[in-house]
Amino acid sequence: MRPGRAAASAACLLGAYCLCQAASGADNQEDRVTVLEEKLERSLNLIEQLNIRVQELESQLSNAKTAPPAARAEAAATVPAPASAAQTQTRLENVEQQLTQLADTNAARGGGGIGVPLHGFADVGIGNHTANQPGLKGANLGGLDIFLNPQLGEHTRSLFELVFEVSSQGQVLPDLERAQIGYQFSDAATIWVGRFHTPFGYYNTAFHHGQEIATSLRRPRFILFEDQGGVMPAHTVGAWLTGADHLPEGKLTYDVFFGNGQGISAGLVDPRSSGVANGGSTYGGNVGYVFGDMLHGLLSGLKVGVSAFRAHITDDRQIAGVTRVDNAGVYFAYDTDRFEHIGEYYRFKDRDLHGAGFGQRSSAGFLQLAWRLPFATPYVRYERAAFSQNDNYFSLQVDGMSYYRAAMGLRFDLDLRSALKFEFARTKNTDRVISSWTDAMLDYAIRF
Amino acid sequence: MNVTAALEFIRVRAWRALFLVWALHLSGGAYAQIAPPDPGALLSRLPPSWRDDNGEILSFSSLLGQPIFITMAYTSCHRTCPTTISRLTEIQRDLDIRGIPAQFLIVSYDPSNDNPAAWRRYRAGHGLVRSNWHFLSGTSRDTERLAGLLGFDYWRDGEHVMHDLRIVALGGDGAWRGVVDSAHTDWQGLM
Repeated sequence: MRPGRAAASAACLLGAYCLCQAASGADNQEDRVTVLEEKLERSLNLIEQLNIRVQELESQLSNAKTAPPAARAEAAATVPAPASAAQTQTRLENVEQQLTQLADTNAARGGGGIGVPLHGFADVGIGNHTANQPGLKGANLGGLDIFLNPQLGEHTRSLFELVFEVSSQGQVLPDLERAQIGYQFSDAATIWVGRFHTPFGYYNTAFHHGQEIATSLRRPRFILFEDQGGVMPAHTVGAWLTGADHLPEGKLTYDVFFGNGQGISAGLVDPRSSGVANGGSTYGGNVGYVFGDMLHGLLSGLKVGVSAFRAHITDDRQIAGVTRVDNAGVYFAYDTDRFEHIGEYYRFKDRDLHGAGFGQRSSAGFLQLAWRLPFATPYVRYERAAFSQNDNYFSLQVDGMSYYRAAMGLRFDLDLRSALKFEFARTKNTDRVISSWTDAMLDYAIRF
Repeated sequence: MNVTAALEFIRVRAWRALFLVWALHLSGGAYAQIAPPDPGALLSRLPPSWRDDNGEILSFSSLLGQPIFITMAYTSCHRTCPTTISRLTEIQRDLDIRGIPAQFLIVSYDPSNDNPAAWRRYRAGHGLVRSNWHFLSGTSRDTERLAGLLGFDYWRDGEHVMHDLRIVALGGDGAWRGVVDSAHTDWQGLM
């Protein structure tokens, strides 16, 4: 018998003896014995539980920190448990069974039984210009992106992305960038309602607000998010049907959406998250094909597609105008272990519905090439946007001028949750106010 | 105290002594009375059947007898999963040097996209041709359940599955041995 166990038994014996003394005055001997038995049994149970706990800690000291809850529950079950009676053994087995069921239930729910897991992204930067506000320089806060996607059931999905950003005046501004609740009928169809990333092209839905997930230091300028000066309606508030159909040699993806027509307020695109006062809508779709086994898998990782949308954009002039924006685009993404190449090209044909009936044509596109090397991911990107300044949709936007930008950068993955990015870029605005500048920036991005 | 009272006192003490002896006997013999718990409990609690890259059903119970390394990955992951696969390859190499046979299970985070054809393509593209490596997909429910039981934390955003490097080691009896992740890299101690 182990010393600890001998001591415990001796303590039990002493305790029982004292109890016997205390009970000696009782009139009914049978009652006294019953009471004594109960107390003794409780004492033994306590001792057994302590023994189990001690042995559990001893045996699992080396790996207890790394084991998941279910494994810890199992480890507790694998400890040889002393028992004093059949009842005690039965009780312990029942407790073990309940613990196992609890662990399994929590595991099956995927949440660990501690509520909604909190995930997010954050980044900070430094440079001779900030990433999205060339008038500022030095160190800057990129954003804190809180990401919630609670598991609500077998078919109901939800996603919320709350971003805290710092304005050019230094104010911390919270923004509910995405708030969407959806019902997944199958892998082939999920309907989302709420505020989501408008499914045009590839980049806007592939990369969200957290910079850590993207290879490059910043998004292409014309598809920046609206509050950063992006000219595309990056968010839509409405409904979105999306899904994929697996074909023998690839996968067909589709998106169909409609929602509130965006507006232009204070020079920025406004998704009209609270609704629209004077009607106006946006709708569109996206069809893509992901190559699989075709041509012996040579094109595996390649996605090509087309997208289009029409939006009725109101603006905030004294006599509000409405511009009908028609956009059509083509894109590709070649995403493998070695490469991440992305290209998008869009054409606009916009019409002022309260003015001259002529369509204003504009275009924008970018090509990004990235190579995933063992030590880093270098990339280059060229962007070009030619926006008609006779088009109210662009001329009313603060950053709606034409430009080109050539950039080269390097991403170092410090570990699996953090990355350091460098980018050098040359940008030139080619109309409205012609200007050019060179960026040299560093960004430290994490996820959690 | 009269004689009757004295005899009664002795009788009670005797009964108590006998009771304590009986209790101590039960307590001391408890180790022998409880059957050892099932060492393969963890493996047996995982969803039992998965479809491998040949389209065939693989039963976890058929793998008992050799150490088992379980990880999760998905075919369109190009950042974390290559690191995980590289780590598994290192483990396989070390096991080969030691002459220890083992089973490697790679379970998809993304079963809706990772059908057997996708896994076959992934396997061929990465030169992972050994027969003791099993690339598996299950139902969404089974995937979530396995991830929860083995401590794989992941979350989705569209086509992306956010996750970390994690490899769970089980013994030949299917019981938990430990984990390899970013903070715990010594798998040899788990054997």
